[in-house]
Amino acid sequence: MKRFLLLFLPLFLTVAGTAQDWVRGGTGLGVEKVRLAASDFKSSTQDAKNADLLKTFDSTLWNDLETAGIFDMVSKSFYPLQNPGQPGDINFSAWGSPPPNASMLAFGNLGVAADKVTVQGWLYDVKNQASPQVLGKQYNDVATADAVRIIAHKFADEIIFRLGGGIAGIAESKIFFVSDRTGHKEIWSMDYDGANQQQVTHLGTISLSPRISPDGSRLAFSSATKSGWEILMYSFDLNRMVAFARFGGMNLSPSWSPEGKIAFSSSRNGYPNIFVVDGSGGNSKRLTNDQGPDVSPTWNRKTGSQIAFVSGRTGLPQIYTMEADGTNVQRVTDQGYAVSPNWSPNGQFLTFSWMRKYGPGEPGANDLYLMDIASKQWVQLTHDAGRNDFPCWSPDGRHIVFQSHRGGTDQIYSMLADGTNVKQLTTKGNNTQPNWSWK
Amino acid sequence: MASTDIYSEPAGLSRPIAWSAGLHGAFTVFVVLYAAFMPGFKGQGWGSGGGGDAMGATLVSAVPLPKPTTETASVLATESKGLAQSQPKAQEKEPDAIPIPDKNTKIKKPVSSKQAKAEPEPEESNRIPYGEGGQPSKLYSMSAGGATGAFEFPGGGGDFGSRYAWYVKVIQQKVQENWLKYEVDPRVAQANRVYLTFDVMRDGHPANVQVEQSSGVPSLDQSAVRALQRIDTFGPLPSDYSGSKISVEWWFDYNKK
Repeated sequence: MKRFLLLFLPLFLTVAGTAQDWVRGGTGLGVEKVRLAASDFKSSTQDAKNADLLKTFDSTLWNDLETAGIFDMVSKSFYPLQNPGQPGDINFSAWGSPPPNASMLAFGNLGVAADKVTVQGWLYDVKNQASPQVLGKQYNDVATADAVRIIAHKFADEIIFRLGGGIAGIAESKIFFVSDRTGHKEIWSMDYDGANQQQVTHLGTISLSPRISPDGSRLAFSSATKSGWEILMYSFDLNRMVAFARFGGMNLSPSWSPEGKIAFSSSRNGYPNIFVVDGSGGNSKRLTNDQGPDVSPTWNRKTGSQIAFVSGRTGLPQIYTMEADGTNVQRVTDQGYAVSPNWSPNGQFLTFSWMRKYGPGEPGANDLYLMDIASKQWVQLTHDAGRNDFPCWSPDGRHIVFQSHRGGTDQIYSMLADGTNVKQLTTKGNNTQPNWSWK
Repeated sequence: MASTDIYSEPAGLSRPIAWSAGLHGAFTVFVVLYAAFMPGFKGQGWGSGGGGDAMGATLVSAVPLPKPTTETASVLATESKGLAQSQPKAQEKEPDAIPIPDKNTKIKKPVSSKQAKAEPEPEESNRIPYGEGGQPSKLYSMSAGGATGAFEFPGGGGDFGSRYAWYVKVIQQKVQENWLKYEVDPRVAQANRVYLTFDVMRDGHPANVQVEQSSGVPSLDQSAVRALQRIDTFGPLPSDYSGSKISVEWWFDYNKK
């Protein structure tokens, strides 16, 4: 009898396996954003440090979720008076019906004990009492403000990952930029929200166009050296400069491919043309062959098989695309003065800086534009706001960081990729040429 | 001597033959009775229910979800976009359908061209603009109280849609983001719904994208399929969900206005 059962077991299993769930739905009318409430976390222990850390945590989490761009955040003034600290505390109807009328609720508790902080966080679908939990997480770390900020970033990224369709959040990403606040133009880094600004290079010369490698371990940039403008390399594994091949002539604007190759503009043969080398600087290949100048290459970050670049071959700089082997060169912009292309992570869009009417007395300014590569349709992202340049995509493809002169000095701003929700990230000195990390 | 014995005993076979005939007969009777009385073999097997994962329709009955009262009889057979449309039209008198004429009676002229021109329906009143709520169709109902889950998506087999309504919302968002309507032939102002089916695997990537019912506009079908192809992942399925994949039926409404 046992044998008989074993014989037929696979059959039962397959029958059970095919009874899968069906989901039905449709698209056509547009989508509303998820209405998300983030209640202040409760303190779970009696410690003097709790209050400060909670403040840091709550504001960081709120800022991360709001910046994510995929939520309709429910204002805190609508919340019920009772903040839930545990799943058992939730009053579903109070959160799920107006005034808060939230779909999702992030809540939890934080407690310090013996200089260790423990954070428990949950994400609940408050309109689904039967199975409300979407996410439940616990974090432990030392009880410092920095550690708590990182915990808040991590929790926010988890929420964004779940509700944003599998695209990792950017709360833990970094932005690299050029700052002259020390008197020299050096490379600096900061968190995506502008916190934690730190100097990376101390060369005492001029360093420009920082570009972080896809794995985040190395930073390529162009710098004025004794032998002219060269591509230099900084290693975050070793926390120091590392050797990189020198090419002679003027070498500018490096750009990493997803596989770790580097494209840059070099005038070693007389005219600035686009070259490609592998990650160690070897295997140099020339991609364009004209009097250029060809500069600012940027790879298609999804496929790594196309490069967009700026060329002045017809006069004013225009944006072109080509295959990664240099074939099939196509002009993308039709007029004006277009520079600083940057390819979106999903490979679908280019963003760049464009003066559509160039010349004395012409209307319009240096603004950022977004172009759909396939259709060549474009939209303007910035309006009436000084000179805007050097746009760069965030790893989630929902944000763009850029440099703007709108406040009288060059500073770094971030915005959603539709041009809304602009936030200033830097204030000290002049800060330019931002580059967002790949993850 | 022994060999002759075998041939000299013909009468020895009669018993086995009788047994054989008897057993054959018994088996025949058994088959006839079995076919007559066992319900499973009564020729109603095709499409009548149970098993089969090709069509999820039969699984629906297992979900006791409230249905809109004015639901159309068949989702596939209607071209309407909303509830208002799906109600039966007032019967028009068809002049042609009057009794078979005699040889001598005059044949009435067919419907005048004037009447035919008045036919097109005011589609505009039926559209629900983005953000203004309402109940555009039964599948897109943001809960306004009384619903289960933040985003209710009734219909479909299994309870995935109600347990993980947030995941269905994610699918909706991603599809919307990746559907490029400019890929549709610009001469088309409006088209029937196109229905796709696809699977979402455990790690969240869509697979087996197929056009279940074409809209009749090839470029629209194509744009819908490409929207799915453009999506790398919807995010991993909820970690406490036990299945290895979910099957999705998704429609696309195209209206240029």
